[in-house]
Amino acid sequence: MRLPDSVTGSFLVVLGAAAAYGGWILPPVPGQPVGPNVFPLVIGCGLALCGLAIVFGVGRSFEEEEELIPFEDGQAAAPPPQSKLYGMRALLPPALLLFYVAAADRLGFIVTAAIMVYVTSTALGAKWKLALPLAVLSPFAIHLIFGKLLRVPLPAGLLPAPW
Amino acid sequence: MLKTLLDAFALISTWEVIIAMIAASVYGLVIGSLPGLSATMATALLVPVTFYLSPIAAIATIVAASSMAIFSGDIPGALLRIPGTPASAAYADEAYAMTRKGQAELALGAGVWFSAVGGIAGVLSLMILAPPLAEIALSFSTFEYFWLALLGLMCATLVARSSPVKAIAGMFIGLLVACIGIENPGGVPRFTFGLTDLFGGIEPIPALVGVFAVAQVMRAMLTPEPPPLPRRKFGSIMAGQWKLTKLYRWQMTRGNIVGIIIGVLPGAGADMAAWVSYAMSKRFSKEPEKFGTGHVEGLVEAGASNNASIASGWVPSLLFGIPGDTIAAIAIGVLYMKGLNPGPTLFTEKASSMYAIYLMFIIANILMIPLGIAMIRVATYILLAPRSAIMPIIMLCCAVGSFAIGNNMFGVVTVAAFGVIGYVMEANGYPVAAMVLGIVMGTMVEQAFVTSLIKSDGSILPFFERPVAAILAAMAIGALLWPVMVWVWRKVKQPQTAAATSR
Repeated sequence: MRLPDSVTGSFLVVLGAAAAYGGWILPPVPGQPVGPNVFPLVIGCGLALCGLAIVFGVGRSFEEEEELIPFEDGQAAAPPPQSKLYGMRALLPPALLLFYVAAADRLGFIVTAAIMVYVTSTALGAKWKLALPLAVLSPFAIHLIFGKLLRVPLPAGLLPAPW
Repeated sequence: MLKTLLDAFALISTWEVIIAMIAASVYGLVIGSLPGLSATMATALLVPVTFYLSPIAAIATIVAASSMAIFSGDIPGALLRIPGTPASAAYADEAYAMTRKGQAELALGAGVWFSAVGGIAGVLSLMILAPPLAEIALSFSTFEYFWLALLGLMCATLVARSSPVKAIAGMFIGLLVACIGIENPGGVPRFTFGLTDLFGGIEPIPALVGVFAVAQVMRAMLTPEPPPLPRRKFGSIMAGQWKLTKLYRWQMTRGNIVGIIIGVLPGAGADMAAWVSYAMSKRFSKEPEKFGTGHVEGLVEAGASNNASIASGWVPSLLFGIPGDTIAAIAIGVLYMKGLNPGPTLFTEKASSMYAIYLMFIIANILMIPLGIAMIRVATYILLAPRSAIMPIIMLCCAVGSFAIGNNMFGVVTVAAFGVIGYVMEANGYPVAAMVLGIVMGTMVEQAFVTSLIKSDGSILPFFERPVAAILAAMAIGALLWPVMVWVWRKVKQPQTAAATSR
């Protein structure tokens, strides 16, 4: 997900300008020169300036390239396949969290959590021999800690916890 | 004074606190030792649990878990050359070189022992520095608070190991996030886009969990699994540590002091302390050529440094609500929740609670020695746990924990969103620590800024009129201009080196 500086910089310019404009149109407090509009205005302008500086490469000389520690003794890890789809895997965790938001109330905590665990585990390369027991057991363990001990109202849904 | 101390003892000698502390210690040791799970993440995932504890027990868990995790990160660093937490990255190579020389016990023992010593030095600094600073802080007006907060934010951008422009941009993003909601000078919905969930603003804790935990799981999706740990038997771990202490007492003291100073600086935490101390150790060593070949000197100094910064990071947090590092940023959230609002009056009104915090830090650092030794011995088994078994559990904890903070699903959405934001920022060289400080301090900065502007009738001059404010302002502006000066210095020097190497 390494994007060129010109892309992230331009995005910041747009974001900053939007924030400044958003602050500008906020209603002021009557009879008061400074209100809720000042701070977003200042920040928006600052952000836009930073974005411009990044587009023009100011401060790039300060960046340190990330050092990858090489493995020794020929245990070099296989180079990850560099396809477009492979990069998309990073989006799996947030997607699963959104799935939790959407499904937890209907399916209940246990079922939703089991699906989340199974998918994450498999995506990280676990065989079903590990992923399946993990998906069955860990939701109950988490429910025991958070639902029973800490009294977080976790949704029951299809399969209520046995306690 | 004595009565306060006794009160503090009474506060911490309850079963709840003792159990919470031991459990959090074990938890911190395990999380810290697993590569890819940082001390900040350990603390962030702990927050939902602290909701259900008494204030002192809640702080006890954070104190214990963070101290232990910083030490525990040394273990995989020494055994696998993969630092368990970023704070151990500075000397992971050195420690691994020692292991290859057959001195794993000495390296890990130095990790435990000098971490504990450093931690206690950090607490002493907290005890000595905080009360006099609280006296000074009582006379602060909004002008001073504004500059102090700005100085804090600027320090955070200065120490980031990245482009200062990107760090400042990260800070602005954080401040912008803090703008969301109706908690602003006019009480109008700001940047809420009509969503009622956003009226209360973005809660810092789910944002932190997202940035530090979800983003880490996202990175794990794309990085190869670390190699398994070769099994080994350890000899005596503490043998020879006292000799090292006597031999390297100056290095140790210097490490402690550097760690304390870096911890107090807002935004700079244990990882920075370790890097600086390791570099200093090499620079001032009598035998710098031994560094990198498995020499314990740098380990002593950096180990003493990173743990010292953990405790001293609480100084600005307790006094001003300005976090000394990302862990303290989380701690501040918990302090507010538990009615221990940071500020100078905390030291007069809740003195026994303050003493309790000191005591807990000391106990945690003493506890670190036996628990740390036990952890080193079982580390081989814990590190056997595959990443595909740990990350799913982390995911569940993120989902449930962020839900538990407000008992609403919007917390989970926040976590997911900030996971993506943190991941993208990190991948493109924008330091997330700067954004985190922006989020945590945003409301405070705005309040100080707007109140000051109202008091001064829109004029900028009063911002510099009070002596302390003027000094803080000069420091904040200096911090802003520092990278520019470094850049100019490099430009001046470059023509000569360029001519010499003729590239």
